[in-house]
Amino acid sequence: MGRVLSSDLLKIRRKGLWLLAVSGPFGIVALQALNFGIRYDYLTKKYADDLWGGLIENIALLVPVTVLAGVTLISSLIANVEHQTNSWKQLLALPVPRTAVFAAKFLLSVILLGVSCALLAWGTAALGVALGFGWDFPAVKILKISFLPFLASLPFLALLLWMSLTVRNQAAPVAIGLLAAVCSLFAGQLPEFVPLAWPLLAAGPPSGLRLAVGGGVLLGALILLVGAVHFERRDVD
Amino acid sequence: MRSFLRLLSAERLKLAKSRFRWLLPASPLLAAVVGLLSNPPAGAPPRVEFAVVLSGMSFLHAMLLLPILTGILASVVCRYEHAGGGWKLLLSMPVTRPQLYAAKYALIALHLAAVQALFGALAAAVFYVRGFEGPLPWDMLLQSAAGGWIASLPLAALQLGVSLAWSSFAAPLAVNVVFTLPNILIVNSADVGPYYPWAQPLLAMVPRDGETFGALGLPLESLTVTVLGSFIVFLAGGLLYFQRKDI
Repeated sequence: MGRVLSSDLLKIRRKGLWLLAVSGPFGIVALQALNFGIRYDYLTKKYADDLWGGLIENIALLVPVTVLAGVTLISSLIANVEHQTNSWKQLLALPVPRTAVFAAKFLLSVILLGVSCALLAWGTAALGVALGFGWDFPAVKILKISFLPFLASLPFLALLLWMSLTVRNQAAPVAIGLLAAVCSLFAGQLPEFVPLAWPLLAAGPPSGLRLAVGGGVLLGALILLVGAVHFERRDVD
Repeated sequence: MRSFLRLLSAERLKLAKSRFRWLLPASPLLAAVVGLLSNPPAGAPPRVEFAVVLSGMSFLHAMLLLPILTGILASVVCRYEHAGGGWKLLLSMPVTRPQLYAAKYALIALHLAAVQALFGALAAAVFYVRGFEGPLPWDMLLQSAAGGWIASLPLAALQLGVSLAWSSFAAPLAVNVVFTLPNILIVNSADVGPYYPWAQPLLAMVPRDGETFGALGLPLESLTVTVLGSFIVFLAGGLLYFQRKDI
């Protein structure tokens, strides 16, 4: 398993995956830097009693849609490494269990997106300090809005990675994922039990947070399991 | 011209059995749902009320989905050649590269036109279903649908160039999404919005009758420069790249 993962890490070199993982958090932080830079006086007056809270609120607004778009693109790009070179047969002929291959791809996407989330947390803190909000940043709150929307998106990662790995034509998984990402922006009106609302809920107040994160992890694990079983039994072309 | 038309029909054939067309109505249909459910301010004249409904529909359709769909279409029209090693075969035929580029571009533009026509038709349907009084504001509808089409043409040129360059389906889309997502903030800014090519489809589609907010409701003339400028830059860049590309 470890060696499959390390070979996967080698395979994604120079494919732009790390660049994509960096550009998500960089884009969010840069946009908010622009937003706060242009409207510094107005926004610091608006959030005068809680400057950090205001910044975090603005960052959190962009996280769910970015995470879902990132999940979609990263799973398709990871699958494409094998599709492009027609290497499925060769890879699966090696003496490694298919579940290990599948799990390694999943773990690889979790690593990429985890790094992405960590960079977002770091960038948020750095931006706040740079804007002169002081060094006493609310670390827990920043970590929450950086990582929890990703945990709530795990069902989408499991589903989209499964689709991307099994279907050669990437149009369907990519289109579905991006459509879901855009719709998640407007998911505030959806009932809480709909998975599409979870990334947004996970970035919000604590009331809906538990369902979103817990449900995300559980449903994600379930889909991953189903995907792994299907991947193990299916015929490779 | 003749070989261009033949290329176009060949391109059409390649996509004939592809199921990607199911994607096209998704965004206009979602927008129609928004149009049916949105609450315009009561007491305003019907034309203004409908302008508010159309704004809501445009927001869902054109802020993110239309630019992203443009990128998906560009990836779709290049997929066949990338997947089957078809570039060598296609370019060894007696066709010029600008002709091929134009044929693929025309295919994207035609599909986008179909999407916008559907959007316009569904917006008209929303007008009648919700029972707005007075005649249907044709000018507003046409301006919105056609404006969105024209404003997404520069993005189509850029995405076609990027899709030709990268054989992966998702990599060109990553570029597209990275530039499209900032729209969420940029359309609120009257300073940046008018100059950001990815924001133009929304800015063009929101009716100019309602109140102005941020970069929305600006006169069309101020958007034309950005759309035309980015169109020339992206089209020239893509074409020059494709002309010199090593297949």
